[in-house]
Amino acid sequence: MEEKPSKVSLKPSDRHGSDKESKESLYSDIRDLWTTATLSQSELNTPLSDVCGNFDAEGRSISHTRGWYGQGRRSLDEGDKASRKLRRSSSMEINEGKEDTASEIKAEKSSSTSSLDIAKHIPHRAYWAEQQNRLPLPLMELMENEALEVLTEALWSYRLGIGRDHLLTQELQQYIEGLKKRRSKKLYLIEKDTLGSGRPEPAQCHDRSPNPSLTPSE
Amino acid sequence: MRLKEGSFLWYLYLDKTYCLLSVRNVKALMEYFHLLDVHGKNTLNDVLFYHFLHHVTDLKKREINLVFDMLDWNAVGEIGFEQFYVLVCILLAHQNHLEERFMYRHSRTVFGLLDLEGDQKISPENFEMYRFLFNIQKQELKDLFCDFDITGDRRLNYQEFKLYTIVRINKLQKRKEKTENAEREKKSLLIKKMSHQVHAS
Repeated sequence: MEEKPSKVSLKPSDRHGSDKESKESLYSDIRDLWTTATLSQSELNTPLSDVCGNFDAEGRSISHTRGWYGQGRRSLDEGDKASRKLRRSSSMEINEGKEDTASEIKAEKSSSTSSLDIAKHIPHRAYWAEQQNRLPLPLMELMENEALEVLTEALWSYRLGIGRDHLLTQELQQYIEGLKKRRSKKLYLIEKDTLGSGRPEPAQCHDRSPNPSLTPSE
Repeated sequence: MRLKEGSFLWYLYLDKTYCLLSVRNVKALMEYFHLLDVHGKNTLNDVLFYHFLHHVTDLKKREINLVFDMLDWNAVGEIGFEQFYVLVCILLAHQNHLEERFMYRHSRTVFGLLDLEGDQKISPENFEMYRFLFNIQKQELKDLFCDFDITGDRRLNYQEFKLYTIVRINKLQKRKEKTENAEREKKSLLIKKMSHQVHAS
């Protein structure tokens, strides 16, 4: 028996609270957009600069687009870097075992450029709608913060379970330290860039203070 | 079972027809998984898995351990990305009240997860352990085995399970149609009333 297409109406109170009805209608719109959008792998691997006219060839954002997010200057660049990093990591996984696939994708890319132009509007709209209303930017920062919290809690379990001197415990500890260093380096570069350009710092940078729960006690 | 508001998973969503993540969401999820993959084995061990689930949901320790045992279908003590993806889809389906649709669309996968012994049948005890994942009430589970155990062996084979998912989604659609019809009738009555008032004035 085939399922009849039907609208799944989510009650706002069931999901995120009754005061978010406007967001709920956006959620359902975005889902409809994604369902109707037909994205091929080659189109997804197309750099953002080709999809959105607000980016230059290297994927650097143009200043007026930052108004899209309304939250500091990092978000768009970080979003680009995040998406490029994601593409890189996914393409690395492809290249590991299947070198032909990369050449196939390239061939597909060139042939699908014209279809991309035609189909640009639907996935383009869905993508930017999602950017604005669903996934927070910078996404990588949210993921890293959360991963850091999870791993710090896991470190305590490792220490209790297998001891401080175990190889796995030390590996986890080093990983956490590496993650923290990367994060603080990013913050430093952003602050340096912000101060250097003379633009006001984004609110989240001011609010960031070392979370005591994330600092492993020695 | 609720996802923690503001967590990374909380921002993801399933396509409501196919109950799957978009490719963009999958890419982000993959990145997240690799952040948690501390030991570089493309897997999460039980400790990492526990802390992840404990952090992003309100599940208890016993439930988290059950979920781990269910997903560790190769019994290697670790969860790979494939299993992680299935888990995230189940969590999001539950969060967004898409359990019926998810079970209907992915009945084979769900059946495979609940078939803990690997004998192509689901026992009531096993289903009882995991009904919290699919928002199935106790009485509903009893009725399920009563109504759909056609072979009478007190266990569900795949055909019986699939039939259950079809009937469940059918009931859901009928309920929704009823609600929509009721709302439409209300609106039309209201419009009629208003037009009468306008004519009267």
